[in-house]
Amino acid sequence: MRTELNIDKALAALADQPKPDWLVHWQQQGQQVLSQTAWPTRKTENWKYTSLKSLQGISWQAETPDAVADGIRFVDWQEISIDFVNGRLVNTPKLPDGVTLHRLSDCSEAEGLTFLQKVDSERAGFEFDALNQSLLTEGYWLKVAKDIQVAQPIHLNFISSGADVVTSTQVLVELESGARATIAETFSATAEARVLVNANTALYVGDNAQLTHYHLLLEEGEVRHIGRVTGSLSRFASLSSFHMAVGGILKRKDITIRHRGEGAELSLNGVYLPKGHEVIDYHTTLEHEVPNCTSSEIFRGIMADHGKAVFNGRIHIHKDAQKSVAEMNNRNLLLSDHAEIDTKPELEIYADDVRCAHGATIAQLDKSLLFYFQARGISKKEAEVMLSFGFINELLDALNDQPVQTLLRPLLATLFAQKQADLARHIL
Amino acid sequence: MSEEVKQYIKSEYKAGFVTDVESSTIPVGLSEDVIRLISSKKNEPEWLLEWRLKAYRAWQEMTEPDWAHVTYPKPDFQALSYYSSPKSMEENRPKSLDEVDPELLATYEKLGIPVHEQEVLAGVAVDMVFDSVSVGTTFRAKLADAGVIFCPISEAVHEYPDLVKKYLGSVVPQRDNYYAALNSAVFSDGSFVYIPKGVRCPMELSTYFRINEAKTGQFERTLIIADEGSHVSYLEGCTAPMRDENQLHAAVVELVCMDDAEIKYSTVQNWYPGDAEGKGGIYNFVTKRGIAHHRAKISWTQVETGSAVTWKYPSCILKGDDSIGEFYSVALTSNHQQADTGTKMIHIGKNTRSTIISKGISAMTSQNSYRGLVKMNPGASGARNFTQCDSLLIGDRCGAHTFPYIESKNPSAIVEHEATTSKVSDDQMFLCQQRGIDPEKAVSMIVNGFCKEVFKELPMEFAVEAGKLLEVSLEGAVG
Amino acid sequence: MLTIKNLKAKVEDKDILKGLNIDVKPGEVHAIMGPNGAGKSTLGYVLAGRDGYEVTDGSAELHGENLLDMDAEERARKGLFLAFQYPVEIPGVSNMEFLKASVDAVREARGLEPYSSVEFIKLAREKSKAVNLPADFLKRGVNEGFSGGEKKRNELMQMMLLEPSLCILDETDSGLDIDALQVVAEGVNALRSPDRSFIVVTHYQRLLDYIVPDYVHVLADGKIVKSGGKELALELEKEGYRWIEGETV
Ligand SMILES: Nc1ncnc2c1ncn2[C@@H]1O[C@H](COP(=O)(O)OP(=O)(O)OP(=O)(O)O)[C@@H](O)[C@H]1O
Ligand SMILES: [Mg+2]
Repeated sequence: MRTELNIDKALAALADQPKPDWLVHWQQQGQQVLSQTAWPTRKTENWKYTSLKSLQGISWQAETPDAVADGIRFVDWQEISIDFVNGRLVNTPKLPDGVTLHRLSDCSEAEGLTFLQKVDSERAGFEFDALNQSLLTEGYWLKVAKDIQVAQPIHLNFISSGADVVTSTQVLVELESGARATIAETFSATAEARVLVNANTALYVGDNAQLTHYHLLLEEGEVRHIGRVTGSLSRFASLSSFHMAVGGILKRKDITIRHRGEGAELSLNGVYLPKGHEVIDYHTTLEHEVPNCTSSEIFRGIMADHGKAVFNGRIHIHKDAQKSVAEMNNRNLLLSDHAEIDTKPELEIYADDVRCAHGATIAQLDKSLLFYFQARGISKKEAEVMLSFGFINELLDALNDQPVQTLLRPLLATLFAQKQADLARHIL
Repeated sequence: MSEEVKQYIKSEYKAGFVTDVESSTIPVGLSEDVIRLISSKKNEPEWLLEWRLKAYRAWQEMTEPDWAHVTYPKPDFQALSYYSSPKSMEENRPKSLDEVDPELLATYEKLGIPVHEQEVLAGVAVDMVFDSVSVGTTFRAKLADAGVIFCPISEAVHEYPDLVKKYLGSVVPQRDNYYAALNSAVFSDGSFVYIPKGVRCPMELSTYFRINEAKTGQFERTLIIADEGSHVSYLEGCTAPMRDENQLHAAVVELVCMDDAEIKYSTVQNWYPGDAEGKGGIYNFVTKRGIAHHRAKISWTQVETGSAVTWKYPSCILKGDDSIGEFYSVALTSNHQQADTGTKMIHIGKNTRSTIISKGISAMTSQNSYRGLVKMNPGASGARNFTQCDSLLIGDRCGAHTFPYIESKNPSAIVEHEATTSKVSDDQMFLCQQRGIDPEKAVSMIVNGFCKEVFKELPMEFAVEAGKLLEVSLEGAVG
Repeated sequence: MLTIKNLKAKVEDKDILKGLNIDVKPGEVHAIMGPNGAGKSTLGYVLAGRDGYEVTDGSAELHGENLLDMDAEERARKGLFLAFQYPVEIPGVSNMEFLKASVDAVREARGLEPYSSVEFIKLAREKSKAVNLPADFLKRGVNEGFSGGEKKRNELMQMMLLEPSLCILDETDSGLDIDALQVVAEGVNALRSPDRSFIVVTHYQRLLDYIVPDYVHVLADGKIVKSGGKELALELEKEGYRWIEGETV
């Protein structure tokens, strides 16, 4: 990928930074892999529907601008906000007892290698992992100690800015056994930003621990965001992870959650709303490696204008993972003649005593529902907006945290308000 | 899972005998000369030889695909013979069925196929393809009365050159894929069907493919043309002897379905699946595709119980407005069988509709995959697809997989896809046993029930045959 | 007919039946009542030979033969019939096909010729009429999409066709409307004969108004804690199970 992706400047800047040998070594390894990795094209199964052209023709550099933007702020959530600009930590909030945050570059060699090993063990088959490793701006290790129940939500507020800037970050969230926490990662960009955000997150949920996780890609403008989220669930761990992507040029997130301890429970939901010429691509994989785990996954999308979305949802039940229950559902609405959706739900099953199902639909708004609205005196146009809104809203309503709903709803509202005219034109 | 079901399956392949006839088989190996030889044996016109050579050259430049969910040693194309015919079919070619070597006909009789027109069950016209040649076709005269052409494609080349020239390769181009290119270069025999405008074919048509010789491949080529407003139901059956080495069957089937016509194409595929250790069996790499014009309907029904490896996606190009495509499939794999099968529905015209019902059953250590594509092109306004893929697992060492690709570029198109995976439940087994039904019978009933939606699409006689075939594959399950 | 002695059984390492004794003579009707979770359905399953139920002690004999050694289908062929509390659905397998397979198997075991298809269809129609199920239910998948009451009537129809010698009805009356209740009762009463016995599990006295039992047993915590005549059911209806539990504690 080295020839197709021009990151010479970024690499040069990296070489100038002082950092420990073990980290230098790790990045060099990454660079080697990167140069050996073939540039993904339409022929690469993982990238069949998504072009990476928008990453090319730019000389990517690593730069930390001085200007600090606000990013995303929640209302009435009492969250602890930790702010990052182009991958660099810019504030030092006070963390509750039992919660620690370490920068990878501050870690001792032993700790650092543990971090890298944890991150590495979750990786497999994603081309941009090598980019992340090569350019790693910084790693962050957020740990919640055993049995600590963190009352306050923790907000990782990632802000991107600058011209032709590439930022690679790796967050490692670790909940020790019995811990409980809510962690929201938000990504936003300043108006003039022209960036490649390469953000990876690894979630480790220990025995009986419970994590509520939000991963919201809200950057508008000239933003490409390519990264991955991995999760590892131990015995009776519970993870509820919610994803959303709006705006930008290209957004691609690979999500892989592994059930590694019996009795683990996962709820994975997401929303994608490409408009204009935006492309949003979610690839999700649920790995049931052990028996007696449950997964439920719902992703929904609305494609407007020339917007295009790709969804690939894979459920993999390993041999001997008996009594697995896994369900995945993907629903899509196309709002325009030029919009596109490519969806591929996959089941790969090697155990027999399982309950697995997936469904995918592409549809127009339900005519009988439209009629019901009309029969109650609501204009068709209004009904259409309400119904498309409702299609997504169902997932927002299910969120436990009101303030996250409060943040996202107006975003949808403006999106649909803009779309109202379009809607009327296209869905009739 | 109950013990009974676990101990399941030790199938006995009933079509595994060898017919003892003298054959003339060309030496192994593939080259332009071999293709010339095949062409000259069939006395083909120059254009067809050129057509074959073009395909051969294209094939040489292609590389054998690596499919995600099947693994097998790649065939050695130089170790196969590409043409084999019973001697009796070569010199003094029989002019009617009565002159055909009784030993050959006995092969088909043994398989339960009506080879004489006077037989009671003979509501069906049969073309019998033995290795590389057709040994006979029944009811040709009766069909000709209705204007229907049903004959081996090798004859059609001579008797209906215009039709063959026009449509051969029109749905599956020579370089469509690796095995289609190979088939185009070396294809031997298969059936040719033409139904004239407005004609409803008066009887079921069928072709039985039999591989007999060792170390040969069979390269069937079938072309069915249903002219405007016509209707035909066609069935193919396939069997082969039990042999320790793998044999290759690489077929191409093309369907041309003109305005308002309907083609119903059913397959009962029972190629030798290999033994319990995974030794031997047929590699079944098949390209089947139909094109449907305005208001035309193509319906594929398949029951796949055989072959060591199956790779096959009978597809519909729904080109005309209001055209309909259907795919009903039962694929049962056991022992070491691998099946990767499904369909492609390409919606081009307005208000096109497609239905996909796929039932996969995997047992023992087999792997069974559904792979499909539903594509809504920008012009496919008002198009609809419904897909239901169900998998049934029997035993905990097999795999069932579903890989549907769904692409839509039209906001008024509606696609619905559902897939489930389950096993024969202990509760169902107990209910059957409590009512006195033995476990083996219970499994076979439950599996048959699971497949019912597909079986009901088969012509009557074949539905019964298909049910029996499943039962045989489920036989010996209970200890 | 059926003799159960000190029967103990467990499911998934949980002791459910804890030493149970019942003796059912030919022609008798025994009602079993008892609180939820007492083990009534478990008793039915253990007798019918369902997998996963482990008998740890005691014996059960049908016509003097040891039931517990037989496979489930063998027991059915010996004349034991269990009407399920929750009949399962078998999609795609038509009721008719299922019934024929079942009746053929049971008749074969008794040394009888299988019915011809024509005979059987006629017979099945007759029985479905007797339980008030429209004939088209015979064509539908076994219990597939049947309402709760329809499933129960379907069970009863099977019982009539199989002509078992011992019928165990597990809450066949639950979920039935009044008319259907009468249909079930009539069905059972029509089958009553000197060489056929019934074990009727129910929560309601009203069924016993129609099917008058010879004995009523109260099953609580895996044991028969009280037995009596038909009047016991009336007392239970009035007083609930608590007074019995009070007695035994
Ligand atoms: N597979 C199982 N695993 C664990 N416990 C079980 C299982 N099956 C039954 N039990 C338990 O055994 C006990 C007896 O159950 P059973 O169904 O026999 O009760 P019942 O008397 O029929 O109750 P009801 O009146 O509600 O039908 C219950 O506590 C039940 O939860
Ligand atoms: Mg009960």
